[in-house]
Amino acid sequence: MTLLKVEHLSKSFKALNVLKDVSLEVREGERHVVIGPNGAGKTTLFNCITGTLPINQGTVTVNNTQISGLPAYTAVGVGMSRTFQKNNLFGSLTVEENLHLAINACKPYRFNFFKPINKFTDVLEETEHLLKEWNLWDRRDRVVNELSYGEQRLLEVLLALASKPKILLLDEPTSGMSPAETIQTTKLIQSMPRSITLLVIEHDMEVVFSIADRITVLHHGEVFLSGAPEEIKGDERVKEIYFGGGTLKHA
Amino acid sequence: MKNRPLWLNLVLLVVLAVMPLLLSSYGLKLGSEVLIMAIFVMSLGLIIGFAGLVSLGHAAFFGAGAYTVTLIGDHLNNTYVLLLAAILVSGILAFISGLLFIRSSGAYFLMITLAFGQMLYAIAYKMEDITGGVDGKPVLATFDLGFGAIDSRLTFYYVTAVAFAASYFLLRVFISSPLGKSVRGIKENESRMTALGYNTRNYKLVVYTLSGMMAGFAGGLYSYFNEYISPDLLNWMFSGQALIMVIVGGVGTLLGPAIGAGFFVILQNYISSYTERWPIIMGLIFVAIVLYGRGGIIHIVSLIWNLLFRRKNRDQNMQHKEGTGIDSSKSGTSV
Repeated sequence: MTLLKVEHLSKSFKALNVLKDVSLEVREGERHVVIGPNGAGKTTLFNCITGTLPINQGTVTVNNTQISGLPAYTAVGVGMSRTFQKNNLFGSLTVEENLHLAINACKPYRFNFFKPINKFTDVLEETEHLLKEWNLWDRRDRVVNELSYGEQRLLEVLLALASKPKILLLDEPTSGMSPAETIQTTKLIQSMPRSITLLVIEHDMEVVFSIADRITVLHHGEVFLSGAPEEIKGDERVKEIYFGGGTLKHA
Repeated sequence: MKNRPLWLNLVLLVVLAVMPLLLSSYGLKLGSEVLIMAIFVMSLGLIIGFAGLVSLGHAAFFGAGAYTVTLIGDHLNNTYVLLLAAILVSGILAFISGLLFIRSSGAYFLMITLAFGQMLYAIAYKMEDITGGVDGKPVLATFDLGFGAIDSRLTFYYVTAVAFAASYFLLRVFISSPLGKSVRGIKENESRMTALGYNTRNYKLVVYTLSGMMAGFAGGLYSYFNEYISPDLLNWMFSGQALIMVIVGGVGTLLGPAIGAGFFVILQNYISSYTERWPIIMGLIFVAIVLYGRGGIIHIVSLIWNLLFRRKNRDQNMQHKEGTGIDSSKSGTSV
């Protein structure tokens, strides 16, 4: 079943056409990776899918609900959440408080103003569960700005996971990470249950080929090619545009 | 570790209760004024320090509350109804204006709230038949909670003390609630809050309305206290004073603005009895605090406190700060 459907999406910033007639389908449970050279429009595509940026043409449908044209906060309501290429956290709050905010977003009592948030046991339990699963439990009292970059990068994903999304959009989850952290993060992504569909932007080809079921190549704002990893790996034209004629490293 | 706000609250209550024993009759009057101003300035401190909405028109809601009590009080002398009306009227005003203003932020929000305040000021100024215009209007309603008219300064002091304590504890609970935490999150990082699924505008509107209601409540009390009101209560000068009190006291804290209000009102009172040029001295003090006291008076107090008593367990102390929100010096310079 198709969970996310992008049809004929176009986006331009004034005269600059960043996305041209992009169509994309992500099936339930799939690990779909978007690759493409710098400036191909990958992050813009994410911003348009989630409603962070208004689109010029086309539709975005999640789980049979059309969300294009709706404000960005509605995406979470239909089961879609995202991370950012650049860490976008609550820097002066603690790790725990960051998660409280992320979990609270979908609770019916989010407008409650007469009971302290740390008296809601389900918030505390979910926080503990997520932090332990992602090895950040001993960091819970730390202010986010004091964490290492890699830890912040993990928290970035964790905040998006807190709303229990059906589909998760990861924008370069391993960018800026050390090789060891990249391996750890790749493992965490691989271990995510198939009940969460993933749409990932990634540059690191080892990571791409170790998680992808399907790859879409974006070039100059257009879908250049979409297919299984083997097809992409073997395609000469992709090598040409993406790697300047070099050979693909094997994962 | 978690007991710190608890005993701080207790100290606060004891101080409020014991103060009258130490104060002269004039001191009691001043005390009441400080407490009323403190409620008002706390309400402004809430939107500035926790929601990041810097308003230069908050006097509009204070004035709206004061005028509501005065104008309706001419026809209906029931303190409960009048104070409730003051809260409702200013709350509705805040809701409607917020609906329009919340879209803007930063300097634009400041300017549009300033314009709104001046608009109400102009209305009160021009509608002489109803508001008394520039001459103002005496307050005819008497303060009566059902036990006979309260006219002794001591009793009125206790009334304002209870009102202040109630407002303070309401805000204390608010900032730790899901809604309060979300508002704080929006100030910290609005784009992430949106990505997490928060309709941030609604949250800002709720906190703005709540803040307006509290300002209106303070305004209502003030008209009972002063027994006379004038359009000056709506003027931007008054909004500006409140803003200064917030900054002097400590942005991003609950008690800070209240302390700022006390500091400002008391100092103004004493300095102005020595010289007519008191604004110069107030100005110098203000500049000094902003330059050297970064997080305001409350920051200085907590620094001294830590130097004197907490040196040994400073590390533990650092952790306290995050939880209590009392001396979150981090957000202290964000105006």
